[in-house]
Amino acid sequence: MLEIKDLKTNFNTYDGVVKALNGVNLTIKDGEIFGLVGETGSGKSVTCYSALKLLPKTGEVVGGNILLNGEDITHASEDRLRQIRGGEIGIIFQDPLSALNPVMTVNEQIGEILVLHQDSKIKELASEKEIPVYKSEKWKASPGVEFTIMAFCISFISLFIMLGQFTFSLPFLFVVGMMFLRDYLQKDIPDSALDLMVIDALSRVKLPNPKQIAQSYPHELSGGMQQRVMIAMALAGKAKMLIADEPTTALDVTIQAQILQLIKDIQKEENMSVLLITHDLGVVAETCEKVAVMYKGKIVEENTVERIFRHPKHKYTRALLNAIPKGGKERLKVPDVGEMGSI
Amino acid sequence: MSNKILSIEGLRKHFPVKNVWGTDIALVKALDGVDLEIEEGKTFGIVGESGCGKTTLMRTLLRLVEPTSGSVVLSDEITQNQFLSNNLEELTNEELRSFRRQIGVVFQDPMGALNPRMLIKDIVSEPLVIHGKTENMRDRVIELLNNVGLGEEHLYRYPHEFSGGQRQRIVIARALALEPKILVLDEPTSALDVSVQAQILNLLNDLQEKYNLTYIFISHDLSVIEYMCDRLAVMYLGRVVEEADTEELFTNPQHPYTKALLSATPNFNKDKEKIMILGDVPSPITYLDESKAKLATEITEQERLEIKSIEGKGLDYIVRSSLNEVLPLKEVGPSHYARVK
Repeated sequence: MLEIKDLKTNFNTYDGVVKALNGVNLTIKDGEIFGLVGETGSGKSVTCYSALKLLPKTGEVVGGNILLNGEDITHASEDRLRQIRGGEIGIIFQDPLSALNPVMTVNEQIGEILVLHQDSKIKELASEKEIPVYKSEKWKASPGVEFTIMAFCISFISLFIMLGQFTFSLPFLFVVGMMFLRDYLQKDIPDSALDLMVIDALSRVKLPNPKQIAQSYPHELSGGMQQRVMIAMALAGKAKMLIADEPTTALDVTIQAQILQLIKDIQKEENMSVLLITHDLGVVAETCEKVAVMYKGKIVEENTVERIFRHPKHKYTRALLNAIPKGGKERLKVPDVGEMGSI
Repeated sequence: MSNKILSIEGLRKHFPVKNVWGTDIALVKALDGVDLEIEEGKTFGIVGESGCGKTTLMRTLLRLVEPTSGSVVLSDEITQNQFLSNNLEELTNEELRSFRRQIGVVFQDPMGALNPRMLIKDIVSEPLVIHGKTENMRDRVIELLNNVGLGEEHLYRYPHEFSGGQRQRIVIARALALEPKILVLDEPTSALDVSVQAQILNLLNDLQEKYNLTYIFISHDLSVIEYMCDRLAVMYLGRVVEEADTEELFTNPQHPYTKALLSATPNFNKDKEKIMILGDVPSPITYLDESKAKLATEITEQERLEIKSIEGKGLDYIVRSSLNEVLPLKEVGPSHYARVK
């Protein structure tokens, strides 16, 4: 599915060049959950951003190849990359609230992805059910604009009534009246094909009342629900691969268990490949089949989950496993690798 | 059995929710009748998910917020028979100052707890200056830094020059400056990597042995809690649902929520029986309006969906709305209390 060969990424900073990745090799097969663990600053996230070319301006891929289904996308054009992001590889970020746009409803955000990657499907559905494609016939400005118009009208009406010139307020009364009339006339018009697709995407991640959630803003949802919406967005483009960058770090353990279960279920249903990036070895042990351990921009060990936790070969993996409290009160063995210094 | 250093009796803290006109329409019951006894020289752990009242409990213990009802009773160890009252709420301002000398705090995010424009020497000596212990201050600060594994060379640096683990060490050094008897640790390692976390936990254990400190350890990471704590309270929606010695609680959990919490923690043992907890975290808001007042105890829409999705997968589950019922605390084992039927 995804193959990363000898990837090298540098960051150019004022203090000199930071070699974030020093030759990373990864192969993720079809229908596999692959875990990538490491400490802060070890290069886990940079690996995934380099693969999707989402690096900030200071970052630069200086060597290596990225192959997606055999196609070399290392030097792919921006147009091709736009197709890949969301269409072939979906991505979930750590903090759902900062990854979702706070001034767009869930409907608009998922709709955006569907229009970009699933346009033909939407049109098909529209012609099949004989419903509008993108927008329902409902002429509706955003609630903010409607509220502003109403407020203006009402303040002018009251101003003219106070001045004793009721007739001047008649045009404003007319506008308010028309707004109510429009809502009344248009209440039975069906949803568009796009709306139906959004609702379908939301019910795939087991959200209750998808219709209501589609109309809400991200801050109105709880953390677990926001992360579910993120997953729905990542899946909306029918991606065959999912990159999850610390998907559960911001959540409680009980909610974390739900989200991990959801990712596992969806992976099985759609036979997707998942790259799970995390610093929590427990999460990896529970979810993944294969795991790679990163340290200072390199992969130091890669194996199946059972083998890596039963018989860790590399010194760093052993140190990392020893540092976790595992019941019992004996003193923790502190890894002698020291704290992650500057690279 | 050692002496108790602090006891909490029926502590309640309700935050009012106001509407636009300023009248109360609902209460957020952050703490709803908490009783705890904290023993001297031991580590007392508090676990629970976000919004269950852990942090409010800590803030009421320090009297940073005033409780609605209930009290925190201090032992003579803390008051040294110099206070007029043993009740935390009745302390005068002067007594409160001396009480705060006995209790240190370490917060979750060390960068947020350290002033970025102060030198380390000023940060660590600040409590000493405030409480007027300015004799041999430089030596005292160096001693404190040595205690936490830092040295004289760090005196003239700013917080941003340190790594996360070192910053947490500075916060611990500052908390210990006035030789407190109790140290409140609010998620001290949740912002750190596992290897650094191990260093900090070892340091905390060493310091406890050296100074006979009492720790109140708040965390959501059960493996850390199991390693650090002697006794443990599990909180859910402002109440303690289970309280027991750590070993007893981990081997023999009684309350359904505790069971689910223990099994939800990611674990290396794949064959371990899993209990999923379904549904979202309920809101702690209680409406004063009678018709909205009761927390729903019947299964919600989302829970029904989730039950459907995990049926036939051989997973055990409990539904969150079944946890909303309030049961009295019952003794279920030797010094093991739980809210079960």
